[in-house]
Amino acid sequence: MKVNKLFQKTLFGIIGLFGFIGLSTSVLAVYTVDTHLSEEYLSNSRDIAKTIADSSVDILLNRDLATLQALIDQFLEIQGIKYVYITDENGDFLAHTFVPGIPDEIRQSDPLSLETVERSLPGMGDFVEVASPILAGVAGSVHVGMDTGIIALKIQRAIGQQVYLIMIVFIGSVFAALWLVNLAAKPVGDLFAYAAALADRRKDDDSAAAGVAAEDGEPAPGSVAERNDEVGQTARLMLYLARGRKLPDPPSS
Amino acid sequence: MATRRALIGGSIAGAVAAPWLRPALAQEAGAGVTDTEITLGMSAAFSGPSRGLGIELYRGATAYFQHVNDSGGVGNRRIAVKTYDDGYQPVPSVRNTVTLMRDDQVFLLFGYVGTPTVTRVLPLLKKYQDRRMYLFFPFTGAQPQREPPYGDFAFNLRASYGQETAGLVDNFLSVGRRRIAVFYQADAYGRSGWAGVRTALKRHGERMVGEATYTRGTKFTSVMRQPVEILKGVNPDAVICIGAYAACAAFVRDAVDLGLRVPIANLSFVGSENMLKLLTEGQEDSTRYTDLLVNSQVVPSYEDITNPAVIEYRDLMARHDPAPPADLVTEAYTPFPHSFVSLEGFLNAKLMVEVLRRMGDAPAREKLQDAVFTVRDYDLGLGERVSFSPERRQGLQRVYYTVVKNGRFVALDDWQAQFA
Repeated sequence: MKVNKLFQKTLFGIIGLFGFIGLSTSVLAVYTVDTHLSEEYLSNSRDIAKTIADSSVDILLNRDLATLQALIDQFLEIQGIKYVYITDENGDFLAHTFVPGIPDEIRQSDPLSLETVERSLPGMGDFVEVASPILAGVAGSVHVGMDTGIIALKIQRAIGQQVYLIMIVFIGSVFAALWLVNLAAKPVGDLFAYAAALADRRKDDDSAAAGVAAEDGEPAPGSVAERNDEVGQTARLMLYLARGRKLPDPPSS
Repeated sequence: MATRRALIGGSIAGAVAAPWLRPALAQEAGAGVTDTEITLGMSAAFSGPSRGLGIELYRGATAYFQHVNDSGGVGNRRIAVKTYDDGYQPVPSVRNTVTLMRDDQVFLLFGYVGTPTVTRVLPLLKKYQDRRMYLFFPFTGAQPQREPPYGDFAFNLRASYGQETAGLVDNFLSVGRRRIAVFYQADAYGRSGWAGVRTALKRHGERMVGEATYTRGTKFTSVMRQPVEILKGVNPDAVICIGAYAACAAFVRDAVDLGLRVPIANLSFVGSENMLKLLTEGQEDSTRYTDLLVNSQVVPSYEDITNPAVIEYRDLMARHDPAPPADLVTEAYTPFPHSFVSLEGFLNAKLMVEVLRRMGDAPAREKLQDAVFTVRDYDLGLGERVSFSPERRQGLQRVYYTVVKNGRFVALDDWQAQFA
């Protein structure tokens, strides 16, 4: 698609503007989705840890550890949760979901700490671990590890969908801009061709053959001088100047 | 005259309506009971790496039920077992139980296999407690079906994992093996055994020196290098495995191959014959992986032909040679002539029949619990008497220990000589 030189800068300006809007919207979307989803996952993890902690009280005080294990095993079915472990008030492990064993990083950490920590466990991946006290901590604590890889993947997918939409709008906008610029540029091209034809008529004095004017000197039907806009007025002005006569009236619309 | 007419009218109406009334009468007698049949519901592992447990338990029970049915049944009612496969997975187990209770309307649940499955089924029994549905003699020694809040909905025959692990720990400590490590299935079953070992060690003032886990459903072909390396790193005197035969056999194989030469104990749930088969099949030296094995059992050795229950078991297994449920067993499986698991299934069935007999001619779920509590000092032929009461919902208490000699599990009498 050839673009008139006169409008090339306008076209590039429009594309640049669309690009800027698309880019800034994408950056904002990435930031917003990343922040909100991360907070949501973290919040869910804390809720899950609290739920397990609340449920564990009765089991720890009245029941057996098999029941406790059955409870935490069910939470592994939730996407994103990769491990759960429960320690007693002394920091001894009561139940966990690790296979083939409790990682050294976790054994060496303070099991009584309730801080949210980020862990990188060899062979397992990267995790954010949240904790919740059982019976205000006097009966132990529950720790839940969320797979940050899965969280990142989810966030990337959500962001990807947004960016994909923005890209489609951007590409559509570029084509729309091209079409609109060409629409605006076409009369100018016609005017240029009209002027060139007028110049040729003056040379061989055959206006009818050149198609720029009728036999009576009025604008030829269908020529650009028939247009009822600035381009038509300019064409008629050119024709007037070429004939040395009065400016023809614009066609009644 | 009016009375006579009413009697005649009633008789005619009864005769005419009899065919349609029969199901209603049967309903009154109790769901799962008809004039000719008592239906029990069973969900167990008939597929997957632990299918040997469900199949053998079913075969042992079927041998006795078939014998009873051939002898006229219980009160002229045959005993039928409606079976479903759960593959030793909790979710199918729960689904099967709902089907058995709602759609099949079985009389009671019988012979479930596994802790992770049973622990998920127990809340269902509480939910439907108005139906008085009970679980009889599950193949698990875990605590949840032995204590509140679900203990009231189950009756156990076998000793608990707590008793099995306590016995193993006591015996290992008695021969100077104080550094005990545990290899266990990462689920409720594994945790149950792990907790048993921990408690037993605590009683002696000891702590577990190490632990490693595996995922339920692990096959014999899996490599167990990682858990072996973890346990080897803590230099144990003995390892207690709480798992199923495929994974435990893989662990024993890799432990021996990687130089962890210490006694390795397994609980009764492991399925000893299936384990032995995996460890010896195709081996030039059949003792390579088995000379340091010790398995606890909750029934006596099926080789002990002085035991009346064992004699009866061997006789009925030979006579009926029960087949696995053909519609459920789709993977290759060669049944064992005798096994600890099928002996347990046999004893479960024998006690089940005794309970059903004690309900008289009109079995009903409402009578089940009371019928169980009438079982006092009942002799199954084991030498150990079985008793039940509201405070005692486990029939047997004894734990047996076995080692491999000449390619068979035999009773271990002298721990000192074997493992000191």
